[in-house]
Amino acid sequence: MSIFQYNGSAVVAMVGKNCFAIASDRRLGVQLQTIATDFQRISKIHDHLFIGLSGLATDVQTLEGYQRLVFRHKLYQLREERDMKPETFASLVSAILYEKRFGPYLCQPVIAGLGEDDKPFICTMDSIGAKELAKDFVVSGTASESLYGASEAMYKPDMEADELFETISQALLSSVDRDCLSGWGGHVYVVTPNEIKERILKGRMD
Amino acid sequence: MKLDTSGFETSMPTIGFGSSNDMLDGFSTVPSFDLPRTTDFDGFQKEAVQMVKPAKGTTTLAFIFKEGVMVAADSRASMGGYISSQSVKKIIEINPYMLGTMAGGAADCQFWHRNLGIKCRLHELANKRRISVSGASKLLANMLYSYRGMGLSVGTMIAGWDETGPGLYYVDNEGGRLKGDRFSVGSGSPYAYGVLDSGYKFDMSVEEASELARRSIYHATFRDGASGGVASVYHVGPNGWTKLSGDDVGELHYHYYPVPPAIAEQVMEEAAAE
Repeated sequence: MSIFQYNGSAVVAMVGKNCFAIASDRRLGVQLQTIATDFQRISKIHDHLFIGLSGLATDVQTLEGYQRLVFRHKLYQLREERDMKPETFASLVSAILYEKRFGPYLCQPVIAGLGEDDKPFICTMDSIGAKELAKDFVVSGTASESLYGASEAMYKPDMEADELFETISQALLSSVDRDCLSGWGGHVYVVTPNEIKERILKGRMD
Repeated sequence: MKLDTSGFETSMPTIGFGSSNDMLDGFSTVPSFDLPRTTDFDGFQKEAVQMVKPAKGTTTLAFIFKEGVMVAADSRASMGGYISSQSVKKIIEINPYMLGTMAGGAADCQFWHRNLGIKCRLHELANKRRISVSGASKLLANMLYSYRGMGLSVGTMIAGWDETGPGLYYVDNEGGRLKGDRFSVGSGSPYAYGVLDSGYKFDMSVEEASELARRSIYHATFRDGASGGVASVYHVGPNGWTKLSGDDVGELHYHYYPVPPAIAEQVMEEAAAE
């Protein structure tokens, strides 16, 4: 198995009507063995910006949990006295990843945020920072192929927050049920201009 | 074991054994086979063997207790990280009083168990009495030994009830055959052993033993990524085997560890009301 499949992960983000949803699985494993079922893959950068990272768990924690991204955004907030726009943040992440071009962080980020006029923004990147913008949904992780299929089938444009939650949850759960290395529950954030709803999904624990 | 060297003379390059060997006359000598045209005789199949090797992604277990033999398995088939099926029958019914479990290559296990069933039936007809578990497992082990090194992947347990009482043997593709009271095979076996060994008593009732077997499989499916699906439990008694249960492991989790009603609902309602 490749190094990207060492820990196992699944992250997906979808766009709705003036809202977005980002979801991940909760498993932390070492190849086939499951170590934990409450691993945090999604971090809040600010109230309208979330990043989820799939791939090697130690790099996920380094980038989002502590050192690189949250820290850089906090500095930005101090200097500019405002929150970063999602597009700007995506460029920042891309630059940080490319800095390590010849010894990369072994993860693939999924960025989701509400930009100007509460317009939802999502994008994903490969491990060295190539941005891929999308209008509907982005996926990453060991279950990414299943996630592409499920999202493609279930996605409709301009969904409201509740319907978006249902759709992204179903897409995530049915995809991770086809992957040995991800699953064991789900974590979904649905973000509208006024509130953030965080929910834990009850999934198959096998 | 005399090698038939006429294979050296063939001009036809072969992938495997050719069509000359007939599985059904396995009572006679080891089938001869066409040898492949290659310089690296030992290594050329290594890639094929390596491809099958890590594939024992499964959990199966069997143990002998006072009332007979308990056999249990999961039902997931995986190809690397991809789950190809959640509903594979891993407990194979060789005949009404003998069961075999499947771990390793699905095709290998299915074929050889069916082949074993045929041989057992032929033995019954020829000798007017049922074959013993010891004899059946020996037949299988000998067949697998003759294909040793050719990339078969079979890790099976033969469980049954014969005149001497309950019998349990572990047979694998290396040709190994072990008699024992408790076995677990597959990538999830360490987890299953943990639960099985700590809960095992010889004097269990059928219900207690089946619950122990079900729990062991459940815990293995929780921790092992390559095991999952449905936990099937079979019991082999003096009158043959019966299937006791087939529980979906996803539901078993919430049966053993129910989720307490979410307090979070109340918190969120307060926030929304503001």
